[in-house]
Amino acid sequence: MSHRVVAVLWVLAAVVVGLSLASVPVVAQAPPAAAKTTAVKPWTAPRTPDGQPDLQGMWLNFDSTPFERPATEPRPGVEPTTPGQISGFAEDIATRSPRRRSLVVDPPDGKVPVMPWAEAKRDYDLAHLGDSWEHHGPWERCITRSVPGGIFPTGYDSAYRILQTPGYVVILYEMIHEARVISVDGRPHVPQDIRLWNGDARGRWEGQTLVVETTNYSDKGSIATNAATGRMKGIPQSEALHVVERFTLVDANTIDYEVAIEDPKVYTRPWKVAMPLNRDESYRMYEYSCHEGNENYMKSALGGGRLEDKAAEEAAKNKEK
Amino acid sequence: MRTKLSVVVAGVGLLLTAVPVVAHHAFSAEFDANKPVKLRGTVTKVELINPHAWIHIDVKSPDGKVVSWQVEGGAPNALLRRGFTKNSLPPGAEILVEGFLAKDASNRANGREVTLADGSKLFLGSSGTGAPEDGRDPGERR
Repeated sequence: MSHRVVAVLWVLAAVVVGLSLASVPVVAQAPPAAAKTTAVKPWTAPRTPDGQPDLQGMWLNFDSTPFERPATEPRPGVEPTTPGQISGFAEDIATRSPRRRSLVVDPPDGKVPVMPWAEAKRDYDLAHLGDSWEHHGPWERCITRSVPGGIFPTGYDSAYRILQTPGYVVILYEMIHEARVISVDGRPHVPQDIRLWNGDARGRWEGQTLVVETTNYSDKGSIATNAATGRMKGIPQSEALHVVERFTLVDANTIDYEVAIEDPKVYTRPWKVAMPLNRDESYRMYEYSCHEGNENYMKSALGGGRLEDKAAEEAAKNKEK
Repeated sequence: MRTKLSVVVAGVGLLLTAVPVVAHHAFSAEFDANKPVKLRGTVTKVELINPHAWIHIDVKSPDGKVVSWQVEGGAPNALLRRGFTKNSLPPGAEILVEGFLAKDASNRANGREVTLADGSKLFLGSSGTGAPEDGRDPGERR
């Protein structure tokens, strides 16, 4: 290879590395001219008729940031990546996510502190998908994408319509056409003996932040249901799960979303996930025809499992002969 | 050696903008990545529905029998973004579908790519579902 080609390649690599490094947010960095800029008036959200900050609209969070910090340590100046890690959709839609290393923002190493028993349960379910519907996740069974799992970005349908009426905030998820109706009138949670797949949510306003606290979970669900969450897909929920979501309107087109997840039976400490929700009123939400049981898919998956069993039986018989 | 290193670094640099794959396990529960299939037939019906579009085609086997197949595609928003429209696959259109067979031996496949009679191709948007990366996804970069 000629020296010129080599030089061009080095320049190209340096430019790409430089561009990506430039956009990595560093928390402690303050703009050098901060003292000289005029004070910026904080943005005030418009209000609904009953005085709630107005979050209404169509919000998307297609985001290609890895859920957890990738395993490989970066070479100095070079971001890690696994060859073949590519997705068709995420590039089609402009993602305005800050260049975080992971969606998991706490613990600071970007890794969820999962207990071994929970990972073992996930692995067992994965190995037995052909055996029973019980090993499939609640999304594949068309029950729910879970709370907060339903808002973790995925390859398609990462869209949410927020509606507000006096005393309530409603979030309609494109996936499984789920609607969460969250009261903001200060009523208490339901009694402790009532357990729900997606828990019992209560909202309150702190300035322009909607805080939603969810308790009363059952142990039937999974904290994450889509593969973009990596090893977290299929990790079980326990009745001790406690979730606090914060939706903060930072400007007319951006909600900063953050969720704190605590489940002392599953994780060794609490952890947090964060990403922006971006307004897109042109996005058309399609009806999601996935109905509890997901018969087509389940018959197909379990039917395939029975064929595999038969094939294994035949093979064993032939061996004996 | 220096030459080889610069190629590697530049290559990795280009991959800096790569995005993580969404490998949905449900693909492998329902379809077999080791059983690629090519189906040549005529479109009878297209269901542009969430979460998966379904393309129904009649495939004529060598012995003259006509068999009905169902091909799974991606979500409507994903397909529309790829240039798919309601009129992309009118009933009667002759197409070649490449994809992966269903594990349960039914006449179903997960579709990767459709080639129309005029030679143009439509990617069926099955990335994000865990379908294997076989170079067909225009969004794939290697």
